[in-house]
Amino acid sequence: MSETIAAEALGKRFTGGVDAVRDVTLTVREAEIYGFLGPNGAGKTTTTSMLTTLLRPTHGRAEVAGFDVGERPEAVRRRIGLVFQRSTADADLTGRENLEIAAGLCGISRAQARPRIRDLLDRMDLTEAADRYVRTYSGGMQRRLEVAVGTIHEPEVLFLDEPTLGLDPQGRAGFWRYIRDLRARDHVTIFLTTHYLDEADQLCDRLSVIDHGSLVASGVPSELKDRLGGDTIEVTSTDGPTDLTDVLRAVPGITSVARAGPVYRLKCHRGETLVSKIALAIHPSGAEVTSVVVRKPSLDEVFLELTGRAYREEGDTNGGAREPARASRRAG
Amino acid sequence: MWREFATVVRREYLKWARVPIWVGSYFIIPFVYLLLFGQAFNLDRLFPAGAGNAGLHTALLGAPDYFSYFTAGMIGFVILTASLYAGTGVLFDKQLGIQSRMSASPAPRSALFAGSLVFRSMMAMWPAFLAIAFGLVFDRIPGLVGLDVNGSVSALGVAEIVLAAFLLSVMFTALFLAFGYALDKNESYFGLTSLLNLPILFTSNAMFPQSTMPSWLQTIAAYNPVSLAVNVVRENLFATVGYAYGPGEYLLGLALWAGLLIAVALGVAARELRAK
Repeated sequence: MSETIAAEALGKRFTGGVDAVRDVTLTVREAEIYGFLGPNGAGKTTTTSMLTTLLRPTHGRAEVAGFDVGERPEAVRRRIGLVFQRSTADADLTGRENLEIAAGLCGISRAQARPRIRDLLDRMDLTEAADRYVRTYSGGMQRRLEVAVGTIHEPEVLFLDEPTLGLDPQGRAGFWRYIRDLRARDHVTIFLTTHYLDEADQLCDRLSVIDHGSLVASGVPSELKDRLGGDTIEVTSTDGPTDLTDVLRAVPGITSVARAGPVYRLKCHRGETLVSKIALAIHPSGAEVTSVVVRKPSLDEVFLELTGRAYREEGDTNGGAREPARASRRAG
Repeated sequence: MWREFATVVRREYLKWARVPIWVGSYFIIPFVYLLLFGQAFNLDRLFPAGAGNAGLHTALLGAPDYFSYFTAGMIGFVILTASLYAGTGVLFDKQLGIQSRMSASPAPRSALFAGSLVFRSMMAMWPAFLAIAFGLVFDRIPGLVGLDVNGSVSALGVAEIVLAAFLLSVMFTALFLAFGYALDKNESYFGLTSLLNLPILFTSNAMFPQSTMPSWLQTIAAYNPVSLAVNVVRENLFATVGYAYGPGEYLLGLALWAGLLIAVALGVAARELRAK
């Protein structure tokens, strides 16, 4: 079977009638890195918990590694690995002991576990720290140990729940390398929930975006970005009274112009080739241009487009300007 | 099943062995209770045997003196104290997300429960034997009162004492593990355990003879598992008279209690470890 995860109209209604997840349908193929994105409270963790047998679906169904999560949870558990958001290692035990315990809980004998543990420690660059207490580990080391614990039984599918939360950019980039290596060498299917859109962009073959418990988009990252219609150029002019909309629209290659105060947002393809043309076009009007920024479409923008709100707390004023009421919902 | 069970026991052991205060407290508790409390709270000195105090000494049912009577009761006291925190490991695992990792592992749920139950009951049991050992040592130290064994202790008797201590440890450990599984807040756990601790003790005959209690309390004390276990110990250590039943019957009562509490705890644990 080439589909490792198949969810059909999967949903979870908690007691009290709250629909945390409704109607999630998705498929993840074998050895794929699949991203699952959404803001806080969108239903990411609930969906992941259902796929990993920690929560029972109230409607729909899902198969993971060929077994129904509701009917054969123990068969699913044997074939999946989990990397939780928080470290779940015993801080008072060494890295090696944590791996031995994890192996034992999977029913692996000590003799079988020994070479596997050695290999995992080596691959996760933890060999030197193997016999130190986990409480002395850095954040990145703890994350890597978590992956080693989650893959001790050679699972077919590895679920990663916000695995790089709190890591610095260097740590995150390093972590991605381990994940890619895992897929390349062990052919593991990876289901990754993340807050970081660049992470999904860099790492995932396909992804879906969940919002208010329902999927709002699925696809290959580049496809999703293409839907936005190319690049954006932001031109800021301090000369308020002069309206440059018509001047800018006349530049060949610009497909649309939207103005918000001193900022003009231009849609175009290959924006970097138009910067000098834009400057030349504005020059005769005498208006002063303080900045020209070419923005390639990012998943942040895809997210903004899909959900009407900025993905991150800081920065994106457009999200607030477009739909302040929706943007404020994030805070809750 | 066996491997997963052994793994849980090993994890419990490693965590226990790395906390010196925890390990040390199991040695110190029986010693301190007997040395400080036992020496000071000595009813023989307060009410010497003889005219007027005969009732008290009759109530000891053949134990040579109050300290010896009290030391046997210590078994119940120490086991209850040592098992009181059995559920904290589960509680902390839940809070740290370790419980989720265990739930997501293919290990049988019963192995997860049984591993904790067995290790924690063993840990709760041996301080009780230390209490007896300290009592016997005190008996040889001038200036201290000690445990005076005036009965003839057989090998069967020793086995009965060990079994009684084991059953009492298992049932209390199961009870407090169930609290750990059922509750989410540390405050609830510690509130509930400290609420139960002394009432369980004071409704038993561990410290005071049953016959000196008001009749309603006598009824409760007769069924209290601490009393049942302590009866087994006293009947074996002392030249006893006046017990309603033999050690076998008391052990049967303990086994019923243990069965009941393990069944309840297993149910609570299974509910907690199951997908919701």
